[in-house]
Amino acid sequence: MTGKLALKTGGFNEMNCKHTALLAVMTALCVGIQLTPRPPNVETTSLISFLVGFLFGAGFGALVGALTMFINGFFSSWGFAGIIMPFQMAGMALIGFTGGFYRKILGGNPNNVASPTKVLRLEVSFLAAFLTLIYDVITNVGWALPSGVPIIVALIQGVWFTAIHIASNVAFFGGAFFILVRIVSKLLGEGLWSSQKEAS
Amino acid sequence: MEFSKRSLVIFGLGWLTSIALVGLIAGYYYIEYQNLLAKLEEYKGQVMRVNICINYEGWNGTIVWHNGTLVLAGCDLLSATKRVAVLNYKYYEYQSPGKCFVEAINNVWNSGNKYWMWYYWDPADGKWKLGNVGADAYILSPNETVMWRYEVP
Repeated sequence: MTGKLALKTGGFNEMNCKHTALLAVMTALCVGIQLTPRPPNVETTSLISFLVGFLFGAGFGALVGALTMFINGFFSSWGFAGIIMPFQMAGMALIGFTGGFYRKILGGNPNNVASPTKVLRLEVSFLAAFLTLIYDVITNVGWALPSGVPIIVALIQGVWFTAIHIASNVAFFGGAFFILVRIVSKLLGEGLWSSQKEAS
Repeated sequence: MEFSKRSLVIFGLGWLTSIALVGLIAGYYYIEYQNLLAKLEEYKGQVMRVNICINYEGWNGTIVWHNGTLVLAGCDLLSATKRVAVLNYKYYEYQSPGKCFVEAINNVWNSGNKYWMWYYWDPADGKWKLGNVGADAYILSPNETVMWRYEVP
């Protein structure tokens, strides 16, 4: 490989071929899992979008989240998403974006702080819970507004789906996020906290 | 363990999420409760509540009450009892009034000289009175209290 494949997209970083390939694989993985039949509201798209945002920047995270929900809107095993699709895209884009933002506010190597793994795991779990709630609020608003149903009623009616969504995302983020970060960092051949220059 | 400002903010967001979730779940059960009340109101006049006692004193010394059992208006004692217990009975075409003879309640069978007898509470006299028809021929009134007793007749 002669050098870097200059992939300048707006404010995104320069990416080499390895980064690009990995991003493509993760996007494909994200779409693939999203389209696989599964229990309602148990999904890994949030995790992967957040991870992509964390590793490749907020813009990429948002893009992967929004695109995955766009594709999901047409090919989901639950049927065509319809009017709710832009809201799903916005919600997932927010999760991906927050991944990048979280990496930014994490700043330097968090291994310097006391018990980093435990605290960071808790942090991403709590963040997952909050982001999932926001995602569900956004999508419920997207359903309630055109249907003429009061938003609070829509939220209350779907509360068990929200609870399942939050619980599964808390488990996925808490259990898998930092493991995935470590794996991807190894694949990229970079240190855990230097894989994204934007964040340093 | 010291937490950074970032951690505290994120934990705060998680805490807010749990509060919101608990609030929504409470709202869900409140709406469900209101719906059930509305349904009950809708069926008012078509349903009634009765109190059913199953007295096993002649078998193991226990007494079980099923107070406020919801049944259809005009329901007979046999049907009402079926709502709260497992019944075994035989149908006798030529028996009257009431063609069903109860043989067991909740797997406690008539045996030897002990049988399932039924009583109704007479509020005027303030005492139990033995039912004088078959359970399937006795039509219950709203809020009526009845008892099945395992005993020597």
